Formats: sequence, C-alpha cells, structure tokens
Amino acid sequence: MSGAIIELKGLTKQFKMKTAVHKASFKINKGDIFGLIGQNGAGKSTLLKMIGGLLYPTSGDIHFFNEASDKNQLYFERMGLLIESPGLYPAYTAYQNLNLMMIAYGIKNSNEEINKLLQLVGLENEKKLKVKEFSMGMKQRLGIAIALLGSPDVLILDEPINGLDPHGIKEVRELILELNKNGLTIIISSHILEELSKVATQYAIIHEGKIMETISKDELLLKCEERIELEIDDAKEVTPVLEETLNIKHYKVNDQNTIYIYDSQVENHQIVKHLSAKGIAIHSISKHKQGLEQYFLERTGREAAYSDQFI
Amino acid sequence: MINLFKMDFHRFVRNKTMYLLLLIYSAFQIFGVFMMSLYEEPMAETGTLISKMNASEFIQSVLSQTPSWMLLYIMVFTIYFYISELNSGYYKNYITMKHARIHSVVSKIIMQAFFTLLMLATLIISDFIGRYLFLDNSSIGDLGFFLKLLSSQFLLQWAFSVLILCVAMITKKMLVSLIVGFVFALNIFGMILSSLESVLFDKAYVSDYLLVNTIMRIKDFNDLNELIVVLGIGLVSLIIFITIATTYKLKEDLK
Repeated sequence: MSGAIIELKGLTKQFKMKTAVHKASFKINKGDIFGLIGQNGAGKSTLLKMIGGLLYPTSGDIHFFNEASDKNQLYFERMGLLIESPGLYPAYTAYQNLNLMMIAYGIKNSNEEINKLLQLVGLENEKKLKVKEFSMGMKQRLGIAIALLGSPDVLILDEPINGLDPHGIKEVRELILELNKNGLTIIISSHILEELSKVATQYAIIHEGKIMETISKDELLLKCEERIELEIDDAKEVTPVLEETLNIKHYKVNDQNTIYIYDSQVENHQIVKHLSAKGIAIHSISKHKQGLEQYFLERTGREAAYSDQFI
Repeated sequence: MINLFKMDFHRFVRNKTMYLLLLIYSAFQIFGVFMMSLYEEPMAETGTLISKMNASEFIQSVLSQTPSWMLLYIMVFTIYFYISELNSGYYKNYITMKHARIHSVVSKIIMQAFFTLLMLATLIISDFIGRYLFLDNSSIGDLGFFLKLLSSQFLLQWAFSVLILCVAMITKKMLVSLIVGFVFALNIFGMILSSLESVLFDKAYVSDYLLVNTIMRIKDFNDLNELIVVLGIGLVSLIIFITIATTYKLKEDLK
C-alpha cells in the first residue's frame, strides 16, 4: 500500500501536434506542499488541469488514494482548484461570488461560512466590493476562498502569486502555510523559485512537458548546501579518518569513490594533510556551492543567459 | 443537479441583461404594432388586414417575418449566459463536482427554457398592449388554437436556443457564436435550401422540416397532421441538440 494521496503514472497530454505533458509520474503524500517548478510553457498548468479533472489525459493514469481516477470520478470532487486565473464574476461582490458557490454546494447557513472564509483570506472588510474593483492579490485570495469551499482534501494552486506585489505575495504565502498546518495537501506551481522554496516540502521539476526530477525539500537543501567534494579510491578507508582525526560528523558517502563533506569548519588542506599522512590517495578535492536557481537551471538545461525566466 | 440548477437560477434572476433584453423587445414590439397601424397593409400570405387579426394570427405573422427578432433575442441571451460563465472561468469552481459537466449543461438548457417562456410572455403581452392601443383589437380568437400555437412555438424556439448553446460551446467565442447565431436566426441556410429545392425539384422535401423554417412558417394548428409534424420537429431537434451539448461537454477539455 502506498501512502500517496495522489499518484501519477505516465500521464501524457497531447494537443494536436504538441505534447504538453509527457509521461509524468510522481507521488504526492498527504500533508505535502508539492511545488511544481518550470518555466512558462513547461506544462505546469496542463498537468494541474489533468490532476484537477479539467483536462482528460491522452494516456496514463491518475490514482487518488490508490484507486485509478477513471474508476471513480468522485475523487475530483475532493479538490479545490485555483488554476490560472481565479474564476470570478467581475460584476458580483466577493460575498456574492462565494454565495453562488455555496448554492452550488448546497451549503446551508452560508452567511456564517462565507464570513469565516472571507476572514481566513483577509477579505472580510471588502465583502461588499465588486470583484472588478479588486486588485490581483485580492482576486487570488478570493479564488483561494472559493477553492476552499466544501473542505477539499487537496488544494491546487497554479501560479497563485503571479502579478502580486510583495505584500500580496507575503499574504498568500502565509495563507498557504496556515492551510497546510491544518492538514491540507497543497499542490502549487510557480516559476518563482525563491518564493516556492519558502513553502514547498516536495518539488517536481518540469521542463518541456517532462518531469526532470522529484526531490524533497531536505534533499534539495542538502544538494544546494556548501560542501567539499572528495574523490578517493575507497570511501570505507576515508570515513574513519574524517570522523576520528578531523572530527567531521556532517558528511555523506555519495558512492564508493565520492564523499561530500558539509562541515564548514574544515579546510581542504587539512583533509589533504591527514589523508596523505594515512597514505590515502586523493584524486580530487574541490569546494562546491550550488544555488537553488542554478540547481533548477541545470535540470532544465537552461543557459545562464536565459536565467531571468526564473526569478 | 438541483444545486447547480439553483446556482444558475440565482444568476438568471439577477441577470440585468436579461431584463434589458425583455424590455427592449417589448418596446420594439409595441412600437412595431404602432408602425403597422400607421401603414396597414394586408398580409401577403393570408390577405388579412393586421387590424382584423386575432392574437394567434398576429403572433404567427410576427414570427414569420425575417429577421425573426425573437430568435435573435434568444440567440443573444443564450450566448451571453453561457459565454459570460466561460470567460469568467467560474465553471472551474464547480466542474469537479459529481456529474457537474452534464448537470451544468442541463441547467443552462432549463434556464433557456425559462427565457424562451419569458420571451413568449413578453411577445403576447406587448402585442396585446400594442393591438389594444393602436389597432383597437384585443381578441385572442380560438383559445385552443392559441395554446397549440404557443406550446409549439415554445418547443421550437427552445430547441433553437439549444442549437445556439451547442454553437457557443463549440466555438467558445462570443463574437464567433454571435455571427454563427445570426446566420441561423436569419434562416440563411433554410432560405438557400428552400430556393434550391424549388428550383431543382419544384417541391420542398427537406427544407419544410428544418427547425427555423418551421418556426417561421405560418401553420394551421387545427390540422392534427401539421400539429404532429411541428411538435415532432421541435422534439426531435431538442433531443438531438441536447445530446450534442451534453456529449460535447462530457468530452470537452476545459482549458
């Protein structure tokens, strides 16, 4: 039994001659904030629309709670969606937009519920304002409020901070973290890496419709942390020297010939000195620091010149 | 189903455009009767003077005129009601609900039935007011005939609105839908086919059974055969267009 709330198996979407998503496979566990990273046009929205039940996959399966979605379409009902722009009637007020969805859900005592949701997204003072007078940030927050109606298990947010000012970004971020704290699983797509790294606990990197990598926050931080990369003949000979002689505890044996040392106190020459004293040959030793942005650019094969796609 | 219907009904009754359409239609109908009273001529088909017509005859003559304003208003409302939801993206909020794709289409079709009913009611009331004020004639005539006329026209006009819904769903664009809707409402296909048939065969084979041609043709509802044909055309068209609309929505990729 898998603990995944959602599992994609070879999900593909073809639009005429273009493959928007190609054999995407990954799992999302309950309570995750799953960040989907990719540049514009990478296939993020298409992928989210398939997960949300708006688009039908050309091939592949989506499993909810270990059951294929085509066997039980009701699973899509357990999702709140905010995909691309929020679906709102501009001539209606925030209250009226929410009220309309309350009617669709058949929720009684809607007034109390609406006020609660408006308070949650910080729009309680703007409930009588027409949506056409809202800023982008206010629309996004109202969109999240609507997506939260019916207490979904999974919230899908597609580029929720697009077009927001720093204040709006902060508000949405805090809201996402607050919702996740209450147990909601959140899938969030963005091309704004820095912002995504502040909330996501899992990442999938998508490029030209293909999932290049899925990685946890801890793994990512480890990969991006400053380290010394040591290449030797046999890691087993080296680790006792690191621990006992150099007192290094924070290291990782990557493979038989490579060790990553994350201890920032130790210098290269100290390592060389002590290993040489023990007669251990060193093939190479180098300091390595990789930023988050560089990490993603490498996975998506982007040149530095185009790095402004990723902020 | 009932909840989505309630949601659409909530939108329907708060839709200012709908009331505006009804108001404009009513004003033009009354104005039209006024103009007819000034330049009264016998009807080409029957030779009857407008001022001597009962309500059934008058309504048939109004509906048989090209362009059919009633079809145009129904077309505009149908496209507006569907495309405004599509453009706002509001459907994304509820489409993941159980059977929402089919229910939302059926709900829209029911709203169109309400609007068609309101249009017919507006037509009757406006014509009654106009004829009473400017032609000094408020007779309904044979009530049975009148009711058969209204129920047949309701079915036909409703079926037309579902055809327009299919157009709006498939084209997804307000302007394109309006252009295609105009072509249908102006009965361009029907007129071309009727002309071709009369030239080639000297008789109508298919064109008599086309939906818009049937709406615009003056009919004798006391003739049971004609009534059955008219109701049959309305019912078959309705079933075909509802099937197209729901099937399309079920398979549609919602971009």
